[in-house]
Amino acid sequence: MPGEALTETSALPAVVFLLPVFAGVIVIAATRTNRALQQWISVLTMALVTGLGSWMAYRILRGAVLTTWRRELRVDALSALMVVIIGGIGLLAAVYSTRYIEERMAKGAAQRGTRTFYGLLLWFLGTMLWGCVTNNVIMLYVAIEATTLTSGLLVAFYWDRRALEAGYKYLMLLTIGITFALFGCVLLYAGAASTNKLGGGSALLISDIRNVVQFIPLGTAALTIAFLLIGFGTKAGIAPFHPWLPDAHAEAPTPISVLLSGVMIKMSLYALARTVSMFYPAWPQVTIFIVALGTFTMLLGIILALSQNDLKRLLAYSSVSQMGYVLVGIGLGTYLGCYGGLYHLLNHAVCKSLLFMCAGAVMYATGARRISELGGLSSRMPITSACYFLGALALAGFPPLNGFWSKLTIYLALARAGLWWAAGIAIVASILTMVVMVRAGYKVFWGTAPLSNSLPTNVKEVPAGMFVPMTTLAALCVLLGVYPQAPYRILNRAADVLATMGK
Amino acid sequence: MNPEALHTGLIETLSLTLVITSVAAVELRRLRFSIVAYLCQALLIVGLLLSFASINKALLWWAATALVTKAILTPWFLFRAVRAADDREMKPVIGFGPSVVLVALLMVGFFRLTHGTVALLAPTGIGQLEVFRTNLAVASTVFALGLYAVLTRRDAIKTVIGLCLLENGVHLSLVSLAPGLPETALFGVASEVVVTVFLLLYVIGGVRQVFGSTDTFRLRELRW
Repeated sequence: MPGEALTETSALPAVVFLLPVFAGVIVIAATRTNRALQQWISVLTMALVTGLGSWMAYRILRGAVLTTWRRELRVDALSALMVVIIGGIGLLAAVYSTRYIEERMAKGAAQRGTRTFYGLLLWFLGTMLWGCVTNNVIMLYVAIEATTLTSGLLVAFYWDRRALEAGYKYLMLLTIGITFALFGCVLLYAGAASTNKLGGGSALLISDIRNVVQFIPLGTAALTIAFLLIGFGTKAGIAPFHPWLPDAHAEAPTPISVLLSGVMIKMSLYALARTVSMFYPAWPQVTIFIVALGTFTMLLGIILALSQNDLKRLLAYSSVSQMGYVLVGIGLGTYLGCYGGLYHLLNHAVCKSLLFMCAGAVMYATGARRISELGGLSSRMPITSACYFLGALALAGFPPLNGFWSKLTIYLALARAGLWWAAGIAIVASILTMVVMVRAGYKVFWGTAPLSNSLPTNVKEVPAGMFVPMTTLAALCVLLGVYPQAPYRILNRAADVLATMGK
Repeated sequence: MNPEALHTGLIETLSLTLVITSVAAVELRRLRFSIVAYLCQALLIVGLLLSFASINKALLWWAATALVTKAILTPWFLFRAVRAADDREMKPVIGFGPSVVLVALLMVGFFRLTHGTVALLAPTGIGQLEVFRTNLAVASTVFALGLYAVLTRRDAIKTVIGLCLLENGVHLSLVSLAPGLPETALFGVASEVVVTVFLLLYVIGGVRQVFGSTDTFRLRELRW
């Protein structure tokens, strides 16, 4: 490992996930119907979390690894990257919710109050952060299952036919899926404990298991990898375990879709990468299998997206496809692959959050979300329209936007590893993404509205509370594209953590 | 750890009774009886954990947690969910006859599998003992039965019972796979299942309100 880092004891890793959890308790227990207070608490908490995350990242870049409670929590560059992404997207989603949820409440769409919404939102973010800072392999499972539980009611928040169906499927399928991850985590623990080589270390701590993983017998290792892939893969939306994803991401309230697609599935992929990448040096055959799974995912996701008429479902299927890219990059296990995978993880969090917010803005302004019912919105909603196209082009990998650089890195990594077929499929999937995203945008924003028009006549641009987060993300798309070396230092260190196959 | 202190006979009997309660929980058509079968299973698990605790004191905590979460809270939530409604289950996809054959096949299959490949499943030393092999075989059978119930039953409440069985299977296997797991981890794992069951039943309550039944086959708004 290049530059073995200095371990520092710090309370920051604990504070960063406990803060949203306690804020959530306060929101649920003490704010009653005071909506402004709930909104302020949520936004301020997430701003604080983002700040703390950046502070941790800064300290880590100066050569430290932060640990708490006898290394139960451990934040290295990879964890810090995830904390910053979760904090930042969480903050923007909280800002976006202030107007979006208010409007849905006014229409009487949801039964339960905003108190439940903001409380669960904060818990959801808190459990995701917990999953990223924990170093305990069993607690990693507990945290990921906790994200399912805290978001389950948010998915079903509107409590109508579609939302309830999505919520039921979400809770049921993810709980079953993640049970496999529990098996995987327990086997990992048991395997590491049985090696009897953990002098002084604990078989529960991921950072210690790493050192003895090559002594785990082949059969146990194979079974562990399979269970972890099924378990965390289900939650990350990897095909063929993805069927819950389009339902949940499309039916949840838009700020929650932003978090599900922008952050949650990536957090599970993080868990997958943390655990499975340990096995690469001893069993490099695994990488080919994961790359194949990733290419299958990217192709299947985008093909299913082609036939969608519902804007949010289309975006959800495209998320499946993009997770394939991240999986391919991280699955390669080389430095370049991990760098590209993590860079794409960051870029996809930005673009997809932006696109979901745009879809939410269209729904907010028109009340419609079927592409066939929409048309010609660009003149009335110029900001949303511009943001959508920026996000769509960035997602499709159009130069010089951010998605281009991360996808290019992944292609190069694949080519360097000699996997030309995978690089070819990745490029084809990227072209298809361009077709799907631009066609949908063209119909919604430029095409003529259908004759049997049920759209309201007074469609106007969304309020600042919604377009400010959108424009922030759009600016990030451009900034990360024009200046791709901006996140280099943190990505470089994070890729070093994951890259077990040598540079 | 002294394996001689184990009451092998008792453990084997409890383990096999456990499989029977799983079959009952899956196959009984009245949801109330099915929940009672589940309750019996939970008590058997507590008994099993207590008998294993003679060689591993940490399992006493596990037994106490299981008693509260599996034998008290979960059945209580389930009973509450069927209280209001007609508790006859919807006709399942696969009938009773084929089910019994399937259970028998699963049992035999898993016993053979765990005997053949136990070193692979439980790389710990004690995993090689006969009692733990039985434990693993039973745990995987219960797990498979739970999965089978989730996949083939139409009634949403029945699928939740299936999910509970599935989780019971996993938790049972921890006795052999991870005997040294600290209490905090066990507590986290167990309490989460209860919360899952509670939330699922809450959502199913909404489904019953809005759709008029708990038939999962009617949940087909979202396709492709």
